[in-house]
Amino acid sequence: MIFVTGVEAFSQLAQKSDSAKYKVFLPDYVKLQFAGGIGFVSIGVGYTFFKQKLEVSYFYGYVPEFVSTDDLHSVSLQLTAKLLRFKVSKTVELMPLNFGCFIHHSFGSEFWITLPDHYPEEYYWWSPGRNAGVFLGGEIRTKLLSTATPASGTAFYVRVGSRGLYLASKFGNSSIPFSDIIEFGFGVAIYR
Amino acid sequence: MRITIKIALLVNIFMLPACEDLFDYSPYAIDFSDENRNVNQRSIEKLQSRENDDTITIALTGDTHRFFDETELFVSKVNKNHSIDFVVHVGDIADFGLPKQYLWGNSFLLKLEFPYFVVIGNHDLVGNGLKAYQEMFGLLNYSFNYDGIKFVFVNTNSREFKFKGDVPDIFWIDKQLQPGVDFTKAVVIFHVPPTDGDFDPSLEEAFHNSLSHYNNVLFAVHGHSHHHEVYKPYADSISYVNVFGVEHRKFNLIKISNNQFKVETVEF
Repeated sequence: MIFVTGVEAFSQLAQKSDSAKYKVFLPDYVKLQFAGGIGFVSIGVGYTFFKQKLEVSYFYGYVPEFVSTDDLHSVSLQLTAKLLRFKVSKTVELMPLNFGCFIHHSFGSEFWITLPDHYPEEYYWWSPGRNAGVFLGGEIRTKLLSTATPASGTAFYVRVGSRGLYLASKFGNSSIPFSDIIEFGFGVAIYR
Repeated sequence: MRITIKIALLVNIFMLPACEDLFDYSPYAIDFSDENRNVNQRSIEKLQSRENDDTITIALTGDTHRFFDETELFVSKVNKNHSIDFVVHVGDIADFGLPKQYLWGNSFLLKLEFPYFVVIGNHDLVGNGLKAYQEMFGLLNYSFNYDGIKFVFVNTNSREFKFKGDVPDIFWIDKQLQPGVDFTKAVVIFHVPPTDGDFDPSLEEAFHNSLSHYNNVLFAVHGHSHHHEVYKPYADSISYVNVFGVEHRKFNLIKISNNQFKVETVEF
């Protein structure tokens, strides 16, 4: 009896969630990115805020064995501010100055976040498992896919960034070229 | 529109090879080129083909961490001394254990005109640094003979291996020091000295005993504390040479002849 009511309640809930309400929780876009320090390929979802001026994205990134001794899994949380926006034509928008920051979390016991017990306090000041960085980027928003699919448009973006661990390594060292600490990446975003 | 996208894609494809170095997949991706692989073994081979005189001259540095500019200066200074047989780095070549830092450190050492050997330090083991060390330099414990002297490189970073009791590997050290036909004296090189808190206290005595067991260790060399001194941590026993951290812009030169050794300091 309890089971039946449970199922009924669930189906009612499911019907309700079919309404526009649940769309609030649907991500505003999906992204597919190449490189950029957060994976060989990464796939992300996220939300836009303040008339699409701010984006919060969550990426899963994968590095396969053909570009690294071991394959690597990681996730990253990104905040992107779209500081400038130009309408190039009816269908094309240009966002030449995006600024962002990210936190990147690599999976694996060797990539710890809190200092393991076998170290005295503050033995190492950074954590290999979680590091942060910044990036600058640009984006072209088009109406591609908007006619044939439910998507509203497709954007192509590039980003040039670095992370704290690289910046700390470069600091005070003219012998390290800037290009060595750059994480360059590009990707595509499909907007709802 | 379609044409624009096609052109954009084409431009991207042509740009790809040019940007290859700028693409970064992860701070922990290890993708080393041939010159950045198996460095210690290749140095052993290079050393065997060197013509040796009656004196072995070794330049020593270490704890290079993020002191890349200083490491570059060290290399150019050492290259001016043509009497050097080989160079030893006493560990901590990668401050955060990052593969990229391994590459940076080695990019300078690759400019050395002499064979060089790097022993593993505690910083080199953070993250997936162990893997990076193995890819770039090879085994954590290794040895070679040169001119009747056996040079033994040992991983003594006990803390990084959670004081499990097998770092340093006492049995391996003992096996290396067992008298043989190829050498009369030995030099033992490691990063963390046995008196340090990062060395397994339960192995300190065994380590000391293994070094003095066959009465053939000429001296020991280590880093980790960045300053320089020649001292005897255990009464009436082996001299330990603590090697300058590169940031002091000083390095040590050790000359071995007739089973005697002399330590010098060179500024750069």
